Amino acid sequence: MEILEKENNVVAPTVHYKTSRIKKNFSANWQLYVFLSPALLYFMIFHYIPMYGVQIAFKEFYANLGITGSPWVGFEHFTRFFDSYYFWRLLKNTLVLNVYGLILFPVPIIFALMLNEVKNGAAKKWAQTLTYAPHFISVVVVVGMLVAFLDPVTGIVNNTIVKFGGEPVLFLTDAGLFRHIFVWSGQWQSLGWGTIIYLAALAGVNPELHEAARVDGATRMQRIIHVNIPAIIPTVVILFILNIGNFMQVGFEKVLLLQNSLNSETSDIIQTFVYQAGLLEGQYSFAAAIGLFESVINIVLLITVNQIARKVSDNSLW
Amino acid sequence: MKKGKALFGISTALILLLSACSGGNNEGENEKVDKEILEKVSKTGFPIVEEPLTIKMFTGKSNANLNFNWNDPLLVWDEYEKMTNINIEWTEQVLKDNLEEKRNLALAGGTIPDVFYSANLSNLDIFKYGKQGTFIDLSSYIEDYAPNLQKFLENNPDVKKGITFPDGKIYSLPALRDNDFLAIRISAFPWINKSWLEKLGMEEPGTTEEFYEYLKAVKEKDPNGNGEADEIPYGGVNLEYLTNWLRGSFGLGNRGSGFVDVAPNGDKTRFIATTDNYKELLQYVNKLYSEKLIEQNIFSIKWDQIMANGAEGKYGSTVFWDPQSTFKGPEGGNYVGLSALKGPSGEQLFSPVSSPLFSNGQFVVTKENPNPAATVRWLDYFYSDEGARLLYMGIEGESFEVVDGKYKYFDETIEANDASKFVPWVGVNPPGIVKQDYFSGAEGTEKSLTAAEKIKPFVPEQLWPSEFTYTEDENKTLSTIGADIEKYVKEMTDKFVSGDVSFDEWDKYVKTIEDMGLEKYMEVKTEAYNRFQKN
Repeated sequence: MEILEKENNVVAPTVHYKTSRIKKNFSANWQLYVFLSPALLYFMIFHYIPMYGVQIAFKEFYANLGITGSPWVGFEHFTRFFDSYYFWRLLKNTLVLNVYGLILFPVPIIFALMLNEVKNGAAKKWAQTLTYAPHFISVVVVVGMLVAFLDPVTGIVNNTIVKFGGEPVLFLTDAGLFRHIFVWSGQWQSLGWGTIIYLAALAGVNPELHEAARVDGATRMQRIIHVNIPAIIPTVVILFILNIGNFMQVGFEKVLLLQNSLNSETSDIIQTFVYQAGLLEGQYSFAAAIGLFESVINIVLLITVNQIARKVSDNSLW
Repeated sequence: MKKGKALFGISTALILLLSACSGGNNEGENEKVDKEILEKVSKTGFPIVEEPLTIKMFTGKSNANLNFNWNDPLLVWDEYEKMTNINIEWTEQVLKDNLEEKRNLALAGGTIPDVFYSANLSNLDIFKYGKQGTFIDLSSYIEDYAPNLQKFLENNPDVKKGITFPDGKIYSLPALRDNDFLAIRISAFPWINKSWLEKLGMEEPGTTEEFYEYLKAVKEKDPNGNGEADEIPYGGVNLEYLTNWLRGSFGLGNRGSGFVDVAPNGDKTRFIATTDNYKELLQYVNKLYSEKLIEQNIFSIKWDQIMANGAEGKYGSTVFWDPQSTFKGPEGGNYVGLSALKGPSGEQLFSPVSSPLFSNGQFVVTKENPNPAATVRWLDYFYSDEGARLLYMGIEGESFEVVDGKYKYFDETIEANDASKFVPWVGVNPPGIVKQDYFSGAEGTEKSLTAAEKIKPFVPEQLWPSEFTYTEDENKTLSTIGADIEKYVKEMTDKFVSGDVSFDEWDKYVKTIEDMGLEKYMEVKTEAYNRFQKN
């Protein structure tokens, strides 16, 4: 680059002009850059620098040789993972669990739209508080509640079923039910929290638009569809892309806590496998390889969705 | 574009810089042991060294003794320092939960201690770092500087085989369980409610069939007499304990716990989970489960739920540790231990017993150690009778007394967080030997000892250590194919028992395991077993 610039005299002045502009810009706004620097530093130190450790995915890690000193093994850990008997099951479970979660993406939007129509302030506040209170319960406690409620012998749900003459359902050990329990309990927990941003976006809708629509004789439903929804679409798209960014990262602790040998047919996901191999068995390189594989899927998805969103809706992360 | 390039350049430079920093200076000098040092270590008697010596140790700890810093005065360590003239500096004292991580950091950070004490190293890691020279070969020191251990190894050749690695070296000194102390080597005991037996007018079950009858009677005949069918015929922490106990009745597990044993006629290794006997075992347990004689939520039950059920005295039988000291509650004292049951074809064996070699990775000497000979001698005392007494009981008159020939802690000793203020062993599994007379944990209770007596005649003759020592290639096979197979077996065992998968699919199950690479898995196991026999 540098050489090119020196050789090409025509370009040089513009570059010069550009750098001086940057300098000028910097000296004019240096306070802002100071404000920015902690965030930059944070990302540098905690997100970019640790990335050099990713190389152990291609190495056989020996603690005493350190990350850089350990011998290279190429793609051995990756092939091992792809050849594993459980690979397809892990991949499928991870994908299904995520897609299922993603299908429920509109739920908080619908809830926010509904909540927005509630004109009674007290009732609205009350409903809002009630729905986002569960967000603050820790995962361990939520699982504890699930286990207690769904227990086949002592659980309240099964006791009710039995009272009405049914047979107790083995919720916790049924592979078919695991996904529903996992996703819907997650939905219950995050519903209220998820609506906050949409409610904020809805609050920003210009009331004049509503008034105009009302004058034109629009019904409430029509106003929601033609005024509210278009107003929050950019927010929705951005949040959707961000969600995709976390695609492969389902709540791993919760899966692990709910897992048992009878439901592992559906509850065995890549992350629990990594936990097993990496932390419990100390196979750091193998676990790093799987983690890297997961991240690659993630970034491919993120870029794809972002690209689509940019084409279709003009809204995108970059 | 330009800015992007620059940023990329900076980060690359940073990364290179960092990796440069973290490399290097790991190569320690491989010090040859100085003859002069050796001469100053006495081979018998105390003190071990004339001039005071300090050895730096890294140790694992439990919740019970985490709050007692071992560098502060602690009865046992102080006394032993006086005896040996060796001062131990506990450089790191790590809770068991963080052991793996801290150990790796210690290995990676260049501050390698002289000894990893009670650090739960796996055979895999020991061999990995042993071959690299980070851990040193101790076999040459054992003969001269570890007379007590040497004696034990001579009397228990299987233990010696178990701690010898494929290259013929010994990198780690073990935590042993005395041969005579069977109770501590049994993983979990089968218990049955004696008072219910009496109420039902039944004898203690001796066969699998009688056991079934008892469970059925508990379910149907309301032995606790409250008019409700709230008794749980069998309950426990998991299904594994039950199947491990029962598998001996089906002629399986004749080398202790584990997936592999030796076929009854001959010397061939056998994979347990694909045998017809295993199928029979699962069919039997499936019968118990489907008739609701086993707690229905046993696959998902949590610890506190079991303790609550146990305390309420709901269990007719369980496989666990002494219910009196674990469950407590009104029924706790009513349980008596069962032995191995006689199976349908007359087999009777108690399989889940560990070898006297309880765990291997509890004492590893690193290349940083200034005086390995003295270090080995320092540990060797704990393989002797007096040493075990010191480690597990402390000093007579200070932490324990002898009443009627029995060793008892003073009340003040026990009050001090299960004696951790005086003795270091609680929850730590230290290297050395555990002897019945000096052990006061749950496995040493009167009940457990009586139960163990009953089990004694049915303990397999040869017991394998919990893991063989493998070469690196073998380890690779085991951590790939092996891990998959074992996971599959565990999963399918539960599914067969719960009825999720019917026994019609047994052949398919066997086929799947074979397809997963059973042959290769067995090759490794057989090879390791042959080496074990030869060592």
